[in-house]
Amino acid sequence: MASRAANRGALHEGFLRHNGFRWLKIASVLCITALAAYLLVDAEPRPNGGTAVGYALGTIGALLILWLTMLGLRKRVISRGRYSLKAWTSAHVYLGLSLITIVTLHTGFQLGWNVHTLAYALMMIVVLSGIWGVIAYGTLPRTLSANRGEATQGQMLEGLRLLDRQLHDAAQPLLPRQSEMVRESLENCSVGGGLYARLTGRHRRCGNARALTAVKAELRAGRPDPGQRLSLIVSLLERKEAALGQARRHIRTRALLEVWLYIHVPATFALIAALTAHIVSVFYYW
Amino acid sequence: MSIILRQITRRAGGGEIARTSTLDKTEVLIGRGTDCDVQIPDLAVMLRHARLHRLASGRVALDALGGVPLNIGGRFVERGEIDPASGARVVLGSHVLTIAAGDTADDIVVTVERTDAPGDAAAARDEARTFGLDAVMPGKRPMVWLSLVAVLAVFLAWPIWASLQPRPAATPATPTVQRVNFAPDQLWTSGPLSAAHANLSNDCGACHDKAFVSVRDETCRACHDKLPDHAPLNRMQAARAAPAGLFGEAKAKLDAATHLTVGRCASCHKEHEGPDGALMVASTFCSDCHAGLKGRLNTALSNVAGFDTHPQFRATIVSTPAAKNPLLTRVSLDAKPRENSGLKFPHKLHLAADGGVARMASEQGQGARLDCADCHTPDADGVRFVGVDMEKNCASCHDLAFARDRSGVVRTLPHGRPEQVVGIMRDFYRAQGGPSTFVDRRRPGIVRTVAGGSAGARGDAAVRAVFSRGGACFDCHAVTPPSRAGALDFGIAPVSLADHYLPKGQFPHKRHTAVKCESCHAAATSSTASDVLLPGVASCRECHGKVTAGATVPATCDTCHGYHEGPATGALPVGHPLPKPVKVAAREVRRRGAA
Repeated sequence: MASRAANRGALHEGFLRHNGFRWLKIASVLCITALAAYLLVDAEPRPNGGTAVGYALGTIGALLILWLTMLGLRKRVISRGRYSLKAWTSAHVYLGLSLITIVTLHTGFQLGWNVHTLAYALMMIVVLSGIWGVIAYGTLPRTLSANRGEATQGQMLEGLRLLDRQLHDAAQPLLPRQSEMVRESLENCSVGGGLYARLTGRHRRCGNARALTAVKAELRAGRPDPGQRLSLIVSLLERKEAALGQARRHIRTRALLEVWLYIHVPATFALIAALTAHIVSVFYYW
Repeated sequence: MSIILRQITRRAGGGEIARTSTLDKTEVLIGRGTDCDVQIPDLAVMLRHARLHRLASGRVALDALGGVPLNIGGRFVERGEIDPASGARVVLGSHVLTIAAGDTADDIVVTVERTDAPGDAAAARDEARTFGLDAVMPGKRPMVWLSLVAVLAVFLAWPIWASLQPRPAATPATPTVQRVNFAPDQLWTSGPLSAAHANLSNDCGACHDKAFVSVRDETCRACHDKLPDHAPLNRMQAARAAPAGLFGEAKAKLDAATHLTVGRCASCHKEHEGPDGALMVASTFCSDCHAGLKGRLNTALSNVAGFDTHPQFRATIVSTPAAKNPLLTRVSLDAKPRENSGLKFPHKLHLAADGGVARMASEQGQGARLDCADCHTPDADGVRFVGVDMEKNCASCHDLAFARDRSGVVRTLPHGRPEQVVGIMRDFYRAQGGPSTFVDRRRPGIVRTVAGGSAGARGDAAVRAVFSRGGACFDCHAVTPPSRAGALDFGIAPVSLADHYLPKGQFPHKRHTAVKCESCHAAATSSTASDVLLPGVASCRECHGKVTAGATVPATCDTCHGYHEGPATGALPVGHPLPKPVKVAAREVRRRGAA
């Protein structure tokens, strides 16, 4: 016991295990209660969103969704203690997960091509992207720091710029054809690339790789290389390739770490819109 | 006469450093090479890119040397002439050369400036753009606004707009389903409509005619105007159990506040639940009221919580037959009721395996003996049976032939008209003096002839014989004696045959063909027509509610009873016509589904 208490003091306690999994327990009780109500109450003629249990589950679900959205506001205010941001995040994650049970029971497993199922589908997208986010936050930062070593992002970029300048200077005496090759690396080499390149780490038409291939071919072809300029350029291009690799692994990890929010946040607001339409339509055509 | 060269470098902080040198030449070389007068460190520039020299006119000429055209003032040319007074801008890769006149008329100023010089702010921006995802993703805020507006517009505003449009009137020629292919408010549907209402799928306003008001009974009755209610409204309200408990009372108050009171059409008929949806009701729907009905309502009905506690059937039997308005009585089968149809008919005799009836049946080619189906014909629905008819079902044996006349024609008596029987027989005896040959006594009820006396007296005697024991009428009917001794105004007591013993329920005989008639109806042992040959409820329970052939035979209320079959009136009043159950669409549909 003593060691555990000491550990708690010493070790960082993440939002998942916050306060001895308090919110996991609360969310579990909520889910089990909802399931019991669904199974035990005899709905006429069958369970759906329009029964007493259905309305209750729907109300709880809607209020939970609104409260979960408030994390966006809450996280911009810093506070400590019982209602700390960590506690909120913990509740956000576990209560968000409980929505899967509560809202699925609210549907009564009646799904179709309509605004109601749209709201349900959007909610599932939000929850699943949130699960992705939790997993990403739990695993990717380790990858991120392992990859970059001691280098900051600025240093990575500066290193690339330095190599570019060296390449630029080294290529000055080159023939126009050869300088064109080096320009590929200097001008047609995007470090980040598009969304696909960032998420997959595949940079198919990278100018640096092409410059390296072309200059190497030039050397192999036995072109005159006064002052070993081409050899110097090959080694510079290879160093740039290595630097690019590190920067791009960093970019890919960051992209995987950030991309879920681009789904989570807009889908949340689409969900709130669909939820509004769902609630209004249900009572409009009561 | 000199060329002043100004090379400008931008500082990170925003300022610029200008280095000026004077070239005392009339011709300068511009390029990347170290031998050039104006050296431009840019791989996009040729080693010797261009030559600038002064012309005698004072103008400046610019020649491209590397074979790459020059961008002078936006135009690509191999050679250009520039008036220093008006100046010009020459773009060389990432550098710009500006040529202008100097302070003295002879001087020309050439300014060289790099166009893209990154600073710290730009570097930070670069860093964010390179490593963050913002550079390649649309912003979160625009996405949020776009999704908010799009969802609300398509799924809220559009359907509301559609619901506010006037509904085109439905006509027989343009059923609703043909009027529009898609209505925006269909986006709101919570599930497919029942089969009966499927044609209203794209016409939400047909039922949802008032916004924020639950579907009202009036809307249902606009089409279902002939459907009787279950019972008078006040009795149904009294029959319902009062809401119990805190939750029950709260729910009742909430229901009343939202006009979702129990007893509306829609409180039982839940729509948007699929093809059979509107007809599904909870299994406790009936017993909610009927389990404790007697305590809440002054009623002749017993409390029934389910088929297990269903009371014995009370058959509606004829207690006093009459030509019009016979007296019908509902009596429990446990009371061993006797029916008085006015007819004599021993089922036992007719169904016997041997004896006169069996012999006659085989003579007529109807098999070794009579069976039920020889007289009882199922009705068109296969639910009950067509009423037994003398001419159709009895006359092939019980014919009313009484004589063969002189020309050999067999004379028969009319059924159902005793006064005509008297007239026909007397006329025949007076005119022909009696039958020329007697009809063989091969059928029951044959008219016996009388010998001796005058033709008139013999005729009268024959009439008396017909109406007396052993006579054609007497075999089946109760005969009322003549008004005075010697008179011939015999009468036949009225006959009333019950056509529906259990009018409060339905027993579809066609669904019970796997069972033999005699397993429910003890006709073979019944020697008098007053026996009520109905099976008791225990007989039904032998199958219903039990598993037979791998399936539970249904024993729910609606297996036999319909809801919309008119008021439950208890015992029928004197003279009440035999009730005919209303066909309930619900049960018809379900039967189709089950078949």
